[in-house]
Amino acid sequence: MYICLANIIIMAREFLGEFEELVLTMVAILKDEAYGNAIVSEIRQRVGRDCNLSAVHVTLYRLEDKGLIKSSMGGATNERGGRRKRIFTVTNAGFSMLKDMKESRMELWKYIPQLKFGSL
Amino acid sequence: MEVYPSVKVRKLVAGAFQDIMIKHPTSNNHRSLRFLEWFCPPHLVEGIEGDLVEEYYADAEAFGEAVASRRLWLGVLRFFKPGIIFRNRFRHPFHTIMLRNYLTTTFRNVVKHKVFSAINVIGLGIGITACLLILQFVMYELSYDKFNEKFDRIYRVTNDRFQQGKLIQHGTITYPTIGPAMTADYPEIESYSRLMPAGDLNVKVGDRFFRGESCIFADDHLLTIFTFPMLAGSPADALKGRYRLVLTETTARKYFQFTGDDWSQIMGKHIYWGLDAEPYTVTGICKDVPENSHLQFDALASYETLYTPENHGADDNWTWSDMRHYLLLKPGVDYKALEAKFGGFSDRHFQGDKVSGSVEKFFLQPLSRAHLYSDYEYDIAKVASGKAVWSMLIVAGFILLIAWINYINLTTSRALERAREVGVRKVMGAIRVELMRQFILESVVISLFAFFTAVLLSALIQKPFNDIIGATLSPMKVLSAMSGSTILILAGVMISGILLAGFYPAVVLSSYQPVVVLTGKFTRSGRGGLIRKALVVFQFTASAALIASTLVVSRQLKFMNEAALGIDIANTVVVQSPERTTADSTLIPRFQAYEQELTTVPGVLNATTSNNIPGARLGRAFNVHLASMPESSNVTFSFIGVDYNFLNTYGMKIVAGRNFEATDHNADWEQIRSVIINRRAARLLNLKDDEEAVGQHVNFWERDWTIIGVVPDFHQQGLKREMEPIVMFPVYSTYASTSVKVKKETMKETIAKIETVFKKHFPENSFDYFLLDEYYNTQYRDEDRFAKVVNIFAVLAVVISCLGLIGLSSYTIAQRTKEIGIRKVLGASTPGIVALLSVDFMRITLLASLLALPLAWFAMNLWLESYPYRIAPGWALFVVPVVSILIITAITVSFQIMRTAAVNPAKTLKYE
Repeated sequence: MYICLANIIIMAREFLGEFEELVLTMVAILKDEAYGNAIVSEIRQRVGRDCNLSAVHVTLYRLEDKGLIKSSMGGATNERGGRRKRIFTVTNAGFSMLKDMKESRMELWKYIPQLKFGSL
Repeated sequence: MEVYPSVKVRKLVAGAFQDIMIKHPTSNNHRSLRFLEWFCPPHLVEGIEGDLVEEYYADAEAFGEAVASRRLWLGVLRFFKPGIIFRNRFRHPFHTIMLRNYLTTTFRNVVKHKVFSAINVIGLGIGITACLLILQFVMYELSYDKFNEKFDRIYRVTNDRFQQGKLIQHGTITYPTIGPAMTADYPEIESYSRLMPAGDLNVKVGDRFFRGESCIFADDHLLTIFTFPMLAGSPADALKGRYRLVLTETTARKYFQFTGDDWSQIMGKHIYWGLDAEPYTVTGICKDVPENSHLQFDALASYETLYTPENHGADDNWTWSDMRHYLLLKPGVDYKALEAKFGGFSDRHFQGDKVSGSVEKFFLQPLSRAHLYSDYEYDIAKVASGKAVWSMLIVAGFILLIAWINYINLTTSRALERAREVGVRKVMGAIRVELMRQFILESVVISLFAFFTAVLLSALIQKPFNDIIGATLSPMKVLSAMSGSTILILAGVMISGILLAGFYPAVVLSSYQPVVVLTGKFTRSGRGGLIRKALVVFQFTASAALIASTLVVSRQLKFMNEAALGIDIANTVVVQSPERTTADSTLIPRFQAYEQELTTVPGVLNATTSNNIPGARLGRAFNVHLASMPESSNVTFSFIGVDYNFLNTYGMKIVAGRNFEATDHNADWEQIRSVIINRRAARLLNLKDDEEAVGQHVNFWERDWTIIGVVPDFHQQGLKREMEPIVMFPVYSTYASTSVKVKKETMKETIAKIETVFKKHFPENSFDYFLLDEYYNTQYRDEDRFAKVVNIFAVLAVVISCLGLIGLSSYTIAQRTKEIGIRKVLGASTPGIVALLSVDFMRITLLASLLALPLAWFAMNLWLESYPYRIAPGWALFVVPVVSILIITAITVSFQIMRTAAVNPAKTLKYE
């Protein structure tokens, strides 16, 4: 509970960068299959954006530091040369962060003149 | 479970991967992966490597192995960045988020318990102040002579002399030939310097007279071996030739009333010294000698002045030993190895005791030991007791320890107040380590407060402290003299002390179980009480030991100051010698007329002249034997030249034979034959009876003397030295000072009258005087200083310990509030309760004092051992500290108990 309190304090003060938000969203999408490579290819497929593995890893660790995701070691597979995957999952704080961000986006959208919105 | 397309694809391909792995067996062992494992934190390796290998297989399948291998390298290199390499290598010592909260809590606590916090900060502050001051002093004492650039290569030659296997002299004086001969004999020696103290200058500059600046005859090597920077003249040449004089800046300014900076104006000027017809030429000006130099002087005269082609004793004599020698060894020479060869040197040049009458042994004393570890006779060095310096450091350490213990005690005694806070914090999710960090942070904050208090306090006490120590110290001066490593060590000690002092309370406070604390069932457990008591015992042990030591030191000092010396030095004015007067055939009548007139001055009881005075180190005659005995029975006497009124003036009784009479004096030195000896001298000559000694002939200085009288032994040199065999002979000299015994009540007026008489008989001399007992007691300056410092420390230790006791008692009494209430309800009286509760504390301090006594007894016996005449530390010296500690405890504790005991039980029992 203490940890959560601390995290709420962080959230009030900290903002996510664009790439951090992207990675966090991908972790949420991939659910139990969210690990480095999967996220890289997910981003490539869904957003059409090339990003390198190390950038994704560093971002994941940073998100973990912020308490938005947590990680555990998954099962080993042959294609990884017998190495286990580090699987990331979104924490409650992470989800509420995503939700907050989405809501604030939607809130902001409302203030964009309707004319343009309609033409789209 | 919903599966996303990309994952599906991946799973489909999975089977193919297995084939690939068989196709690319080396991939698992790729060199880039070894690199990754090297720089990547271990707990991340597996996840990263797995991802990379996965990518590699996919690439190998799509683009071939070469491309895949290249891409793998690229992938690995991309991980070589700080975010990965340093991940979790450095942890934050604090949760920075909570830091502000911790500080807020700390400040609220400090403000809420103002008195308590003040006690805490002041206790610790006093401890640190004591430490700061003492450290300054110790560092200053240890900094002696370090300003010399060749510091580690300079050695003093010291000389022990033996007769019949017994040590008869332990000194720094040797023969003028030693330096040159050693340098010629041993290639390890680079250079030597010869010195002879010239005493006080007594000079005429232009038409003005000056007296009192100390001067040393020194050869031309001195200024190149030691580092005394020159303002004018060259270090190598300034002391070459005869009648050369190098002045220090202050002396030069005084003599020539010079204020400018162009020292060349002073160079070449003439100064007339004493009765010398030939003037000294100023050939150099050096900066003032640093305070922390063991060698002190106001002027240097060239050594060559002391000898001429016709009269060259000061250059090549093997029996005249007024010279001090310094050797400069070549770099890398082991002085112990060189010293070991000096046996051969003695055999070669002194052939046993054939040359000088005693067996000579030579030693080297490193310059680093000259100030603190010298116990030599005829020493010109500024010396202090190394033992005292180190014991002060130890005592300062104890004070600091006591202060820290205090902090621990006071902090833990507040446990109950903080227990609830700890409980709440724990419930909110704080883990133990975090709580410990919080309390350690608190101790750091308190220590910082204490430190600033200490800096302020020490700035305030600096001046009185300097007066006691007899040096002009300042923190900056000391800091600049310290080496980097010393500063680091000291800072390390302080920081670790602060952290350790914070550690125990942190452990105790963070250990509480929230369930126990928050349900209100928490009572202060007995756990930790024992440790607290032990700490208080330790504090009071140290305090009691210090009190006992203070008593012993001051008793010994008092004993030395008040002991019967066998010679009466009270109310004696010493007038310095009329040395500008020419010694001619009229000398004796002139002195006798002078003395005669002195005794007619109202207020003067008696007067005498002697070439030395009580308290001074006498010269020694080494070849003394009964005329009837062979020379092999040589013994050594100290000698003093006196006039026939000496024994009367100093209140000494003749026990056999007769006193000197006016007729014993003779203008011709060769004709003087009568001597008076003391009992020790008689015993040393194997004369069992005082009467037997009278009339015996004794031979020294190649002459037979007749013993005309015997006097009892007396303390020529204070109680720090053993009494000596002494021989007196009747002589007048212009180098003899006058001792005038006066009436105490009219001393001031009498001195003015003495001056008139002195001026009348010796018009060409300035009148300078001092009081003999003050001069005599300067021998105990070290003890005096030590006693004062120990005194201050004892007081500090007691004060701090009392603060600790207040902490402990407030803790215990608060715990027993309810018990006191019940007792009162059941009819206990207030005094009864006070007595009941006091007993506990009395027991603690009594135990502490009992522990302290053997410690103090042991330490003090060790200290006393170096005094040949000492007090026997009696039982009173040890009862007093015990009693005083008990009284102090009673006062400290009973005040608090009384306050609690006086409270109406209805109030304390109302709440449950």
